Amino acid sequence: MSTRYFEARDLTVSYDKVAAIRDVSIGFDEGQVVALIGANGAGKSTTLRAITGLKRPGRGEIWFEGERIDQIAPAKLVERGIAMVPEGRRVFPHMSVRDNLLMGAHTREDKAGVASDLERILTRFPRLRERLRQNAGTLSGGEQEMLVIGRALMTKPRLLLLDEPSLGLAPLVVRDIARLILEINRDEGVSVILVEQNSRMALRISQYAYVLETGRIGLEGASAELIDNAHVRALYLGG
Amino acid sequence: MEQILVNGAILAANYALIALGITLIFSIMNVLNFAHGQMFMFGGLIVYWTVAQLGLPYAVGLAMAAVAVGLIGMAFEVFFFRRVMRDSTREENTMLLAVGTALLLENAALSLFGEKQRGIPPIVTGVYRIGDAFLPANRALVFGISLVLIVAILLFVTYSKTGRAMRALAQDRTATLLMGVDTARISTLGFGLGAALAGIAGGLLITVSGVNAGIGTAISTKAFIMIMIGGAGVVSGALLGAVALGFIEAFGYAYLPGSLTYLMIFVALILFLLIRPQGIMGKPWG
Repeated sequence: MSTRYFEARDLTVSYDKVAAIRDVSIGFDEGQVVALIGANGAGKSTTLRAITGLKRPGRGEIWFEGERIDQIAPAKLVERGIAMVPEGRRVFPHMSVRDNLLMGAHTREDKAGVASDLERILTRFPRLRERLRQNAGTLSGGEQEMLVIGRALMTKPRLLLLDEPSLGLAPLVVRDIARLILEINRDEGVSVILVEQNSRMALRISQYAYVLETGRIGLEGASAELIDNAHVRALYLGG
Repeated sequence: MEQILVNGAILAANYALIALGITLIFSIMNVLNFAHGQMFMFGGLIVYWTVAQLGLPYAVGLAMAAVAVGLIGMAFEVFFFRRVMRDSTREENTMLLAVGTALLLENAALSLFGEKQRGIPPIVTGVYRIGDAFLPANRALVFGISLVLIVAILLFVTYSKTGRAMRALAQDRTATLLMGVDTARISTLGFGLGAALAGIAGGLLITVSGVNAGIGTAISTKAFIMIMIGGAGVVSGALLGAVALGFIEAFGYAYLPGSLTYLMIFVALILFLLIRPQGIMGKPWG
């Protein structure tokens, strides 16, 4: 049993018998933005893949809204309200922006709801409305990031998992994306797990953060405090 | 000249069904369906069986061919391809499997129908005249049915929810899974639809030239030529390849001695691939 809104307990995930993460536990309450930071290869993405079922944890439990979800197929998690935006954006490149967004609504039967959500997302991302008929592969990196976030929102999630949304984007665009994540969290009441190598951005927009070090949680705490932590400053924020 | 264009258009429409089917399977499953010609052949023989032997109407035969070959494709996906893809680490495995299914179908056809050339009489009789060209009504019918089906498939893939999921699956399997799509179901449907198209193409052509159990490899070869010309895995490429091959063949048969046409096509194809290995509409590999 778990009493928290989301809880992953003692997750261990191995690739070819080598543990990528070991005894990772994270938990948070509804409506929070939680950050997972750490160096390349520390196990951030593996943790997310375990949560979405793309990689089954060898050990551990995952609970969401009072139910255990670690044995559920990834495609079924969408209907449970969990959406993941994978690393590297992964738009459907030869499909229009509109079709990309509609793919997010694949499991939904409420036509009117889908139409109004599409409209709301296009209002939030005016750039996507301008490029509605264009193939997603022709968008800029920042626009593609907006598209995959919009696509995930079309699934009507209560929990959004973002894997390195700032990767490869210009600093100004990163700022836009950070603001968008905060707005989505605030306006739609969506809880967010944010995996980031851009620790500064992640700590600024999250309430709580976990620092992964070689597959284990090395440090955790309120994000505002971690920003001032000497160890975090030295290792992840460039002094 | 007009006659050649008419012949080319009819061939192109029939070939487009073949090319669309093999492209669907290739892009959704990443499987090169070596059994595509055998599926075509099976479709033809099923029409022969229902029409010539059971005495049922042609429309019933054609529907039977589509359903039966579609089911064969779905069964191949569920029982063979899915398992091999899950457990194997090399792409060659699915190719070998596809060759195996081709042999399976060919031998099944030999046991069930024998090795004789089978045909059925034209569905409609009469001849239209277009300018200086003659167009037998039966060929016009085959052409019309092919066109309607091509348009229907394009509309389905472009506008239906399932068609959209098929396109998504072809572009990014993981991202499609994350959208909550039952990717296994879509793969089965895609394989079935591709196979059904091959079956229909065979069921149409049997009214024109007949089929026999050994025709599969030649048809598969034509399918490969078409996707090599057009670009593998691209719908527009498949259509372009079909049009190109249909007209080249029609011109070849008109101006060259019979056996020379395909020799010339292969030589031209090799030269073409040296210049543009990804085909006309295809993306460069790598």
